[in-house]
Amino acid sequence: MTEDLNWAIGGEAGDGIDSTGKIFAQALSRAGRHVFTSKDFASRIRGGYTAYKIRTSVDRVQSVVDRLDILVALTQRTIDENLDELHEGSAIIYDGERSWEAEIPEEATGVDVPLKSLAEEAGGAIMRNTVALGAACEITGFDVEYLDESLEKRFGGKGSKIVENNKEAARLGQEHVQENYDLDHLGYDLETTDEDYVLLNGNEAIGMGAIAAGCRFYAGYPITPATSIMEYLTGRIDDYGGHVVQAEDELSAVNMALGGARAGARSMTATSGPGIDLMTETFGLVATSETPLVIADVMRSGPSTGMPTKQEQGDLNMTLYGGHGEVPRFVVTPTSIAECFWKTIEAFNLAEKYQTPVFLVSDLALSVTEQTFRPETFDMDAVEIDRGKIVDEDEVEEWLDGQGRFRAHAATEDGVSPRALPGTTDAAHMSTGLEHDELGRRTEDTDTRVEQVDKRNRKVETAKEREDWDYREFGDPDADTLVITWGSNEGALVEALDYLEAEGVDVRVISVPYVFPRPDLSEEIDAAEDVIVVECNATGQFADLLEHDTLTRVKRINKYTGVRFKADELAAEIQAKLEAEVPA
Amino acid sequence: MSSEVRFTDFKSDKQPTWCPGCGDFGTMNGMMKALAETGNDPDNTFVVAGIGCSGKIGTYMHSYALHGVHGRALPVGTGVKMARPDLEVMVAGGDGDGYSIGAGHFVHAVRRNVDMTYVVMDNRIYGLTKGQASPTSREDFETSTTPEGPKQPPVNPHALALAAGATFIAQSFSSDALRHQEIIQQAIEHDGFGFVDVYSPCVTFNDVDTYDYFRDTLVDLQDEGHDPTDYDAAKEVILDSEKEYQGVIYKDENSVPYHELHGVTEDMSEIPEGAPEDATDLVREFY
Repeated sequence: MTEDLNWAIGGEAGDGIDSTGKIFAQALSRAGRHVFTSKDFASRIRGGYTAYKIRTSVDRVQSVVDRLDILVALTQRTIDENLDELHEGSAIIYDGERSWEAEIPEEATGVDVPLKSLAEEAGGAIMRNTVALGAACEITGFDVEYLDESLEKRFGGKGSKIVENNKEAARLGQEHVQENYDLDHLGYDLETTDEDYVLLNGNEAIGMGAIAAGCRFYAGYPITPATSIMEYLTGRIDDYGGHVVQAEDELSAVNMALGGARAGARSMTATSGPGIDLMTETFGLVATSETPLVIADVMRSGPSTGMPTKQEQGDLNMTLYGGHGEVPRFVVTPTSIAECFWKTIEAFNLAEKYQTPVFLVSDLALSVTEQTFRPETFDMDAVEIDRGKIVDEDEVEEWLDGQGRFRAHAATEDGVSPRALPGTTDAAHMSTGLEHDELGRRTEDTDTRVEQVDKRNRKVETAKEREDWDYREFGDPDADTLVITWGSNEGALVEALDYLEAEGVDVRVISVPYVFPRPDLSEEIDAAEDVIVVECNATGQFADLLEHDTLTRVKRINKYTGVRFKADELAAEIQAKLEAEVPA
Repeated sequence: MSSEVRFTDFKSDKQPTWCPGCGDFGTMNGMMKALAETGNDPDNTFVVAGIGCSGKIGTYMHSYALHGVHGRALPVGTGVKMARPDLEVMVAGGDGDGYSIGAGHFVHAVRRNVDMTYVVMDNRIYGLTKGQASPTSREDFETSTTPEGPKQPPVNPHALALAAGATFIAQSFSSDALRHQEIIQQAIEHDGFGFVDVYSPCVTFNDVDTYDYFRDTLVDLQDEGHDPTDYDAAKEVILDSEKEYQGVIYKDENSVPYHELHGVTEDMSEIPEGAPEDATDLVREFY
């Protein structure tokens, strides 16, 4: 039981919930423990219920579960919101001196810590959450030294006085519990290990992947939950000779990124649902002008403004089909935080190799979740960059027509044309969203039209053959039950396998990081007795694709409450689906 | 190479499909001459255009170019300039493209002061869609969509630009070839966003704002002794709606272009073959 601990802090937005959670998560990570965090927040700046949850273990954790061991409650609502997850071993840290009288549920143990008074004693009421962290260390038997390191990292920039005051606040919290409570019966004694871990979320992984891949220009417009990609790059890309522009809107953002890409820089924009809608007009232009561009969509609940701070995987159809006419593209869907890094790099390579738009589709759960990884997971030496067919001045000649004009849209066998960056002597040319000939000049000639449409679509066919549209597999490869998923559900599904195994249910899991093109799963689907597709949307957009591919009906597990799947919940749903007589 | 460049090097072999007599011929010739005169060549020039008659300009000129979607040429130009500060970036649009669908981008491009030249081919009508009111059409100008006139005042692009903090504002007339070229040249040479609205008459759909009309009414600010570095004088010219004029209206001589202000000076198209050398620092940050 002490291996796997679920801790949470909850209160109102503006209470410092996020930074407190992050400080504790970092302390646990530094102590060589695995960490998986999740956030519950509302779309407002101050007020409303906000929580930061940490699941930590010496083993790898990659999902949230329906269980809460230590809860720091800054409001009564924090307790009420989590009633279902509390149990006999739960401890609730609260401030008995506060104006609200805490109602502690019977099964849990209330730990009254005068957070505010002790914080004031340490130097300021603002540190009350740090007092709570000290108290949590005492209850869980966690070495407070690691918390100190984390406080240094967080407040080091603000001067040693602030760091020392915070350490003192933590110490006072720890001592208060030591002196007033005997909580050994709860049985918490957190182990530490010598492992080195890094702790980061999906948006940070995308940003880091972009820099590693040589992205130099980013244009975007703030929108939840994509904004932190821009925030990450803004602080860092300049060190690598790049620049971020905050555009006036998404239409501008995608067109700026297009301009950057056209000029030869690896360029990117990122947005979420409503922003993708606004950018749609330009997708076709990116495709017909054959410009390499990475467009990230960090999905949130839709439609319209939907639930901006809640989870959903509802934009798949949008990224797959968005844009009038027929737009060749790639849709890449990272399935974990580490994959956010690697798929971003792959997205840039695909974009330049095939001179197309590439959609990098992530979701809110991936974007805000922090998770521990061994640092070598992000091995920078393994990063490969393929810029595709860029022609230099010596190669220009072989791509000129009889009159010395550069054939920027030459109808090659593989569909990929030579690409001349501005400044290349004798290769000046225009590209346009109008249908055009090999030179980029407008045409309505029927043969040329067909030639160019086929040429652009041929790039996708070529990529289907040349690239490895792989998938990830877990569980029992011979099981009769096949569960297929995409995006952030992978972690919960992998953990659900343990619950299912305990129930004697064998399952094979396939997690798909590519939606277009996607791996051919016909054989796997044919071989299985039951096929269940798990996704966070109401209509089963990915399940529809698989049915279309294989002409086979699949069962579906869909969640569209705005909350991500939990491992235990998923295990129960899979079991229920297997017991159901009629496919639903 | 620049000394050998002639303006015809900027001409493509595609014959314009503009109506005979269209003002856009003169507008484009002036642009090409100004580019050659300022030492540019087709290989270091990037022309961006939107949609409409004006948007066709990228087809008729020879340079690196992108013909984009309606109203979004300025953001594309901004991206090009960020990635390649060494390129000469010229953005062309029409009055619908620039002041209607692209008005938001116009205001923000102006305030960013990106070092590029923005030429608006202003004919006060929608030509390519065959004669509807544009944002600069007169209040009583009868068109197929406004049979009694738009009944709303035309946009004053110069006032918009001035209010947004423009560092170079000018007006030219496509038929006054020499002045037009001179003005575009000054816009190119300006360190920052060089905005030139060009009276570029539509001979097919606009029988009010004609060559004759402009010839008869146009006042040259240079002849008037206007000092373009005088902000208040510029404001006065811009807010005088009774007058048609040409010349450089306002020029901020202390203008610092966006890329210099933000330290964007590197050629972003060149990147290492793998991750940057110190990329592991990025991972270390997450310990």
